[in-house]
Amino acid sequence: MHEMGIASEVIDAVRIEIARHPGARPSKVGLRVGEWAGVDVESLRFCLEVLVKGTDLDPLALDIDFRPQGSELDIAYLELED
Amino acid sequence: MERVAIEKRVLSENDRIAQTLRQRFAARGTLVLNCISSPGSGKTSLLERTLEGFAPETRVAVVTGDIQTDNDARRLARFGFPVRQITTAGACHLDARMVEKSLEGWDLDRLDLLLIENVGNLVCPTSYDLGEESKIVILSVTEGDDKPLKYPGAFAKSRLMVLNKIDLLPYVPFDMEAARRNARSIHPEIEIIETSCTAGSGLDAWRKWIGERMREAERKEKPR
Repeated sequence: MHEMGIASEVIDAVRIEIARHPGARPSKVGLRVGEWAGVDVESLRFCLEVLVKGTDLDPLALDIDFRPQGSELDIAYLELED
Repeated sequence: MERVAIEKRVLSENDRIAQTLRQRFAARGTLVLNCISSPGSGKTSLLERTLEGFAPETRVAVVTGDIQTDNDARRLARFGFPVRQITTAGACHLDARMVEKSLEGWDLDRLDLLLIENVGNLVCPTSYDLGEESKIVILSVTEGDDKPLKYPGAFAKSRLMVLNKIDLLPYVPFDMEAARRNARSIHPEIEIIETSCTAGSGLDAWRKWIGERMREAERKEKPR
């Protein structure tokens, strides 16, 4: 149930990053999610799709690097297109 | 195409507040325990029996979280210690900001122990640091003995597993050894205490464990 809040924080981080790169369009965001982070990956994916749909970020691909036995919950990278 | 490294932890704002809380607690030698379990495992009953065993001068307080109602706070307030209810109105966990806000008006210098009863949920609360010294996971024998395998995060991050409602063992197909083995397969160092809040068994061991942690917190107290 808390995946929507996490997805919102990811979107905020994406917007902060694209503001540093005027004219660039974000195409993919990469996350690291540990098995023990307490996050349902499919729910997080769904929440991000909902938040992006119909906005200037649409389409934004999502790359989730799932870490068995890990507690990571990180935004790793953003891919930008000129 | 350009790849830009961000390397930012999600929930970093929660972590920042939790770290501030942890420093405040450590500076005062206040032990903070964050109790996590699924709904109905007996968290509130365990806290009731815990408070009942304390001398009136014990400097203990409780923050209890639920999605709705202040039923738990009213149950716990009967023992005469300060209790605050956090009603999350839908959120499935407590976060550090909620705990920070709930502490407003309390003099932490006058607290040796803060017990936090999280919202009943074995998943989401494990993501949120509340500034606690330890997480404690409570598993009752009316649940499955494979819960540690199904919800590994809660067991991986907890220092202690309380196996509760053991008075019901004759009536339920719960394998205590399997539960211990499953928990230790996730977290080999996890400590385990078996309790029954109804029969009172194991509560002395639980209170002794808290007492030892309180003395540890007092020894570690940092000058402000």
